[in-house]
Amino acid sequence: MFTAVLVALVIGGLIIFLVQRRRNQVLKTEDGWWGPGAPPGAEEDITVRSFKVTTSDEELEDLYRRIDQTRPVSSLEDSQFHYGFNSHYLQRVVSYWRNDFDWRRQVDKLNQYPHFKTSIEGIDVHYVHVKPKRVPEGTSAIPLIMVHGWPGSFYEFYGLIPLLTEPSDPGDLVFEVVCPSIPGYGFSEAPRKKGFDSVCAARIFHKLMKRLGFQQFYAHGGDWGWLVTTNMAQLEPKTVKGLHVNFAPPSKPGLQMVLSIMLGRRFPKLFGFTDMDVERLYPCMEKLVVESIKESGYMHIQATKPDTAGRGLNDSPVGLAAYILEKFSTWTDHDFRNLDDGGLTRKFSLDDLLTNVMIYWTSGCIISSMRFYKENFGKGLDAPHAKIPVYVPTGFACFPNELMHTPKLWVKQKYRNLVSFSPMQRGGHFAAMEEPQLMAEDIQKFTKTVEKKMKQ
Amino acid sequence: MQRLQLLKETFFGLDAVHQRLLVGCAVAAAAAGGILTYAVQRSKVRTIPVGEGWWGAGEKPPSEDETIHPFTVQTSDKEIEDLHERIDRTRFSDPLEDSGFQYGFNSTYLKKVVSYWRNTFDWKQQVAVLNKYPHFKTKIEGLDVHFIHVRPKHRGDQRVLPLMMVHGWPGSFYEFYKILPLLTQNHDGVSFEVVIPSIPGYGFSEAPHKKGFNSLAAARIFLTLMERLGFSQFYLQGGDWGSLITTNMAQMRPDRVKGLHLNMCMSTRGFKVLLSMMIGPYLPFLVGFSREDVRRLFPFFEKNVWEMLKESGYLHIQATKPDTAGRGLNDSPVGLAAYLLEKFSTWTHKRNRDLEDGGLERKFSLDDLLTNVMIYWTTGSIISSMRFYKENLGSNPNDRIDARTGIFVPTGLAAFPQELLHCPRSWAQIRYRNIVSYTFMPQGGHFPALEEPRLLATDVIQFAKKVEEL
Repeated sequence: MFTAVLVALVIGGLIIFLVQRRRNQVLKTEDGWWGPGAPPGAEEDITVRSFKVTTSDEELEDLYRRIDQTRPVSSLEDSQFHYGFNSHYLQRVVSYWRNDFDWRRQVDKLNQYPHFKTSIEGIDVHYVHVKPKRVPEGTSAIPLIMVHGWPGSFYEFYGLIPLLTEPSDPGDLVFEVVCPSIPGYGFSEAPRKKGFDSVCAARIFHKLMKRLGFQQFYAHGGDWGWLVTTNMAQLEPKTVKGLHVNFAPPSKPGLQMVLSIMLGRRFPKLFGFTDMDVERLYPCMEKLVVESIKESGYMHIQATKPDTAGRGLNDSPVGLAAYILEKFSTWTDHDFRNLDDGGLTRKFSLDDLLTNVMIYWTSGCIISSMRFYKENFGKGLDAPHAKIPVYVPTGFACFPNELMHTPKLWVKQKYRNLVSFSPMQRGGHFAAMEEPQLMAEDIQKFTKTVEKKMKQ
Repeated sequence: MQRLQLLKETFFGLDAVHQRLLVGCAVAAAAAGGILTYAVQRSKVRTIPVGEGWWGAGEKPPSEDETIHPFTVQTSDKEIEDLHERIDRTRFSDPLEDSGFQYGFNSTYLKKVVSYWRNTFDWKQQVAVLNKYPHFKTKIEGLDVHFIHVRPKHRGDQRVLPLMMVHGWPGSFYEFYKILPLLTQNHDGVSFEVVIPSIPGYGFSEAPHKKGFNSLAAARIFLTLMERLGFSQFYLQGGDWGSLITTNMAQMRPDRVKGLHLNMCMSTRGFKVLLSMMIGPYLPFLVGFSREDVRRLFPFFEKNVWEMLKESGYLHIQATKPDTAGRGLNDSPVGLAAYLLEKFSTWTHKRNRDLEDGGLERKFSLDDLLTNVMIYWTTGSIISSMRFYKENLGSNPNDRIDARTGIFVPTGLAAFPQELLHCPRSWAQIRYRNIVSYTFMPQGGHFPALEEPRLLATDVIQFAKKVEEL
């Protein structure tokens, strides 16, 4: 009897110890140096410099010359967007780009918010920093970092920023927003050394926020931004007050997930599957496996041969546009593959789409943007961060046309403190750009919930 | 009825021993008959339907011009100036420090190649080299099909064997220019008359305008070509896509194909393969593996699965979004060169990925490599060449009829050590039922015709001689 109690106590203690250990599991990381050659002996320059996006006649002439010298190839008869970007529609987009698109005006639009650069770990990191004009009495603006993905950029958030920094509803919270560019993307310098993965980006963004004087802040991200902000929450859970994501593919298929796939169609209630979940997951071979294979060719080549994949795109603006805009078509709605024009302008304006392309073109960053895939997937899916859950309060905005559907059960496997799970009415992978109003509403709802919980 | 009654009476009239003997014989006879039928069935030559198609633009006209026109490769100052201008406008970027060819084509070495291309490479001279063999074009199924046709010089006392050689991606008919003179020579009274076409959508062959142009369509078109040239029986040689196309040709018209020689063969899946994978490393002889097979196949996961994943990104994107993947490459000659030449580096020897220069010039000359790139560049065929992947792999390739049908013509396999995937004889035998020769080649990778022409020629010749003696 005594032995039994002792054994029970020991086992109980062991379990508690293990659970505590998991709960306190924090992602570890080390400083890095990504500039050319060896790190300099002197202290790193930590000043924050103003930055303005600029262009020149030369830049535009070069672009136009290259566009004029495109060697077009006709798409197969009746193939729409099934073989990739349709050549006939591409010609229309390029014609607009050449004759109507006003890059100087778009540059002014980019500069409507203040841009900065600062050197961290040898990389000149670019970001946009928007302070609200007015903050209600007795409150302070809530700091929020928003991280983009591929093939997006900080520009994806331009429709969303004013809704957060100047909300029309007086009951809404007011945010102070920081939108950085991931190193290797847009106006952020590219790393010169191998190994720059999402954890490195997360660490650099923590340093950025500290340098700007923020002790605590919220984070929002989609696509790679989802992983970078998740890593930020894993690195310093006390600093990230709340994590809001619109994309959360499961990193490790656990037993629960496998069981739910096998039995979820017959017993949805058992796994908390709603009608929407069932519709989006089944038939699972088609919706999960076949669809993924059809759409992940870019990921496969970028995760293995980024320097080769991007080489031609850095000389051919039309090639770059086709490569990037194909995603804005297909990832907004898979059914757009059946359309001759890929449904591109149904949810986006050509001006916005081409501005994003121009950010990749003028900065020449397509190759370095692709390398991020190899750095993150190169060693397989067994990275340390994939095994550590997230305990920071999390909000998930579930958009109906997102690339991979993640039901609540799967989200909770990793995000143990899921404060809100919102099925959204409409929207796809580039939700911030496609449905800024809906996204802003969910960020408001999430942040209010977390703030209230903290006051209790 | 009466006879049956008689048989019954006779049988039951015998004593027990004789009865058992009779039953035993009957069972043995039935069993033997069953086995014989099964064996005959299995070795019965099955074919796949030849089918038909039309790939031209718009509607099919009532009749087609079947004449064969001579063709000369041409260039112009304008073409060369345009190329130079684009090369000069390349926006280079630096590779990551210390990355060799691990991230793809190394940009530092790419600058050297491009510099050679811009300043030393002489396209007009290379065009003259291309034209040293006679080129032709002829319309088949709505497409202008390009090919070269080379006869041996002195035909007198030789047996001249017709041979068609089919290239793959990212190769071209030009890959065979080094092996051609070796095959058209007299080897103990045997030599070859060689036809080398360009797959529609590649190089100087017109690209299909309609969806669905796969290896079966290419096979049928090449069968028509041989027929049009007056060959009723011929040999075939192929690697990469050429291996699949020539296999399909042998499956469609085994009566025409005297012998099929491949330097790459796709292994099938199935229980036998799985079993040999598990037992192979420990008891190779039990599952038909030689020591060399074991050396090339194992450790299995690393050498086959992991390696395949690392090297098949291009296949994945080309099989799903070819129009997007090729779009930039058709405007950027440097991008095109990097994309194609990366394969000539990595697929020739895997260790090339660790080298700063990708080991490219160890086995190939820049002139040859760039001539191949120029064939893709001047014809603007990169996108149509990529579409072939989608047409063949787009829907489950294992469900296609040719994947489920055997190959019964005499087959010769040349297994090169640095080929992408090793296919042991025991696996090849699952579908290739009539393997006449299987050779472990001492060296060479995926492009043996260009890299080791002498080795490949020797194997093709010994294979053909074996078949002729049969």
